[in-house]
Amino acid sequence: MSDNNKNAPKGFIGRFLALPTDSVPKTIFVAVAVCLVASMIVSAAAVALRPTQAVNALKDKQINILQVAGIYDPSQDVLEAFAAFEPKVLELATGEFTDQFDPASFDDRSAADDPATSVALSDDPAGIVRQGKFVTVYLLRDEAGAIDKVILPIHGYGLWSTLYGFIALEENGNDIFGLQFYEHAETPGLGAEVDNPRWKALWNGKKLVDDSGELQISVTKAVPPAGKDYHIDALAGATLTTAGVHNLVNFWMGEAGYRRFLENLKAGNV
Amino acid sequence: MAHKRKEMLIDPLVDNNPITLQVLGICSALAVTSSLKVAVVMAIAVTLVTAFSSMFISMLRNHIPGSIRIIVQMVIIASLVILVDQMLKAYAFEISKTLSVFVGLIITNCIVMGRAEAFAMKNPPLDSFIDGIGNGLGYGLILMLVGTIRELFGSGSLFGVTILETVNNGGWYVPNGLLLLPPSAFFIIGLIIWAFRSWKTNQVEEREYKIQTVEAH
Amino acid sequence: MGLRNFFDKIEPHFEKGGKWEKYFPMYEMVESFLYTPKTVTTVAPHARSYVDMKRIMTYVVIATIPCILMALYNTGYQANLAIAEFGSSGWRASIIEGLGIGFNAANPVANMLHGLMYFLPIYITTLVAGGVFEVIFATVRKHEVNEGFLVSSMLYALIMPATTPLWQVALGIIFGVVIGKEVFGGTGKNFLNPALTGRAFLYFAYPAQMSGDSVWVPVDGFTGATALAVSASNGVQHLAAMGMTWWDAFLGFIPGSMGETSTVAAFLGLLFLLATKIANYRMVLGCLGGMIGFSLLLNWVGSDSNPMFAMPWYWHLVLGGYAFGLVFMVTEPVSGAHTNLGRYIYGALIGFMVVMIRVINPAFPEGMMLAILFGNVFAPLIDYFVVQANIKRRARRNV
Repeated sequence: MSDNNKNAPKGFIGRFLALPTDSVPKTIFVAVAVCLVASMIVSAAAVALRPTQAVNALKDKQINILQVAGIYDPSQDVLEAFAAFEPKVLELATGEFTDQFDPASFDDRSAADDPATSVALSDDPAGIVRQGKFVTVYLLRDEAGAIDKVILPIHGYGLWSTLYGFIALEENGNDIFGLQFYEHAETPGLGAEVDNPRWKALWNGKKLVDDSGELQISVTKAVPPAGKDYHIDALAGATLTTAGVHNLVNFWMGEAGYRRFLENLKAGNV
Repeated sequence: MAHKRKEMLIDPLVDNNPITLQVLGICSALAVTSSLKVAVVMAIAVTLVTAFSSMFISMLRNHIPGSIRIIVQMVIIASLVILVDQMLKAYAFEISKTLSVFVGLIITNCIVMGRAEAFAMKNPPLDSFIDGIGNGLGYGLILMLVGTIRELFGSGSLFGVTILETVNNGGWYVPNGLLLLPPSAFFIIGLIIWAFRSWKTNQVEEREYKIQTVEAH
Repeated sequence: MGLRNFFDKIEPHFEKGGKWEKYFPMYEMVESFLYTPKTVTTVAPHARSYVDMKRIMTYVVIATIPCILMALYNTGYQANLAIAEFGSSGWRASIIEGLGIGFNAANPVANMLHGLMYFLPIYITTLVAGGVFEVIFATVRKHEVNEGFLVSSMLYALIMPATTPLWQVALGIIFGVVIGKEVFGGTGKNFLNPALTGRAFLYFAYPAQMSGDSVWVPVDGFTGATALAVSASNGVQHLAAMGMTWWDAFLGFIPGSMGETSTVAAFLGLLFLLATKIANYRMVLGCLGGMIGFSLLLNWVGSDSNPMFAMPWYWHLVLGGYAFGLVFMVTEPVSGAHTNLGRYIYGALIGFMVVMIRVINPAFPEGMMLAILFGNVFAPLIDYFVVQANIKRRARRNV
């Protein structure tokens, strides 16, 4: 520091840098400078990457819908394949589509938390506390433009966590095409076997209601009196996750869920 | 100098491993090692954050006031972690979903702070960078070991590719469910430490107590 | 005494400088199993007792005899009952048919024999797999193979479901011996019960083989939940509808892990252990008190959705592994608390935790195993506080 005078610090920043490190002005200067630089870098990255991230999140959801509808092809572009689906916002109470919301931006989960668009459940077998009055459903049409499949979001409590998923139904609103959960935290090896392709394949071809219109679908160990067409075998060793899936499917397919919509669908009023 | 740098890189792998010797960074080692792919991404993320944070902190080391030194280090580390998190969300969405909160928690990973405080504050930038890479690799090595054991015996696969066909999919292997639960990493890390210390006996800590023997008379 | 001469003749080979010096632990194991140890107490001459480690361990094994007999009988009894409905298959059935004994559940001999053919393979596997690791550690560490393993292996075999695959039996006992005991330095230094550590390992690693409905009775096609699982879903009243009475549960004629169904057999063992002062009565009292107290509290609180709240304490006593765990695991001296007050607290903590896990945790109908391991972990802490409190009290007295 003896030759300080020879290389006298130049400029505003240089003067600060030359101060003793522990002096008050330098402390404040370093704090402000570091924060400024760091915040600029972080916000620049966040802004620049946001569009890519939004596309990723959307794709992720769409892949799940494609998978449950059985038309997911990893080599095909997701956004392109998903164009076959028609998203619609459904009002559960009437079983009819509504134009109140834009399906592209409607968020089911935040709507279910909003008192204006949801109801607190008193009878709550699925363990979801609040149910949204509106949900986004997806219609898959065949080449002639008639409805081929409907994809309905479902969720409910298992053993440790809420399971979020989709159920795909055939155009008659009664035959199950498939079921898939995309978010849960059940026990690995037991409850998490809801993701097992062999178990998921069991759902294909099962029926929801019997000829008299009674909801018969069950996920249990023993085959119910209604018969095999309405029964999916329980997950081995995962009693409570199985009970959770049973309850949530029955809840969403019942009166409080999609019953009206499915009746409309069956009657051809959609 | 070159020799010293090579040592900086290799030393943290076994002889001075941040997990097995210093027992740092255990939290994420438990949480993200149930599949190898995630473990590798986590190892890379930690290595990058450690290396670059050490480098930046070392560049500023002569200007960081002692009174706010920890906060300045934290700001630099946190910014880097957010950068990594944003990158993963944009370019590796599947993995960022599995890593979820643990990317953010790299901020609290003791290895990053530890290297910043213990090494980067006293050494030039290039050395600090290499030291960061070395420690990140040491952390990564253990993560990969644990991840290999857990994924192979817990799910019967490596990097998601089936090696042992499991019973549920029609094969013969009965997967060990304990290995899919985080506590199993405790056992495995413990066994790795045991193995390391049997191999490198100078890592064994001195006992804190003495066994006294009574002479018969 | 030809055998004694044989041992005397080969002993020099195993001693220091002998050609098999390394294998002394193995020699010592066989020799001291057959004869009284030659080494006698040399230090602290004021401590005089006829009880040594070998005698303690032998007594515990003797105390398990009623449980072993009940394990054989009930395993065979449950299997024969189910066979009447589902038919028989496998090598065991071939042997029994070959001997012309048959599967009559009313015939005690047939039941015992059938049970033996399930218990024996599991027990032998336990002895061999665990024994190999005991000997490896003893050889490397140059100490003697301890009789404690006889107890651990017997208890471990008794808490297995009869259908457990043998490779899992082996894996579990190896985990129990190595992680539950040897990593801490061997017998006397383990703070966890090795048998339970092995059982817990299997429980979390292979839940499909260790819990559920089809593992308790070794007949293909038969499914039957344990009494605790039934109570958890339908309430304890439902047991009567299934033909299970309190006396069945007390005597042990219900499905469950092989040795732990019979409360009366476990209590016979307890009487023996208490009479020989190997089991400490304080732990037993504490554990009974904790269980009865907390289950009475839950009875009083009540619940509409959880039928387990209403389960009375005398059912908690006879179902699941409570009685067996109380007698052979809670009273285990090494992993339990060592101070007298601490023993009450330790027992009560386990009694409380059993009811807590059984009633309030939705995932695990059986709680004894986890409760005891939990108690094991807390035992040193309990002792610490008891000792500190004692030091403080005495320091105050001398101010």
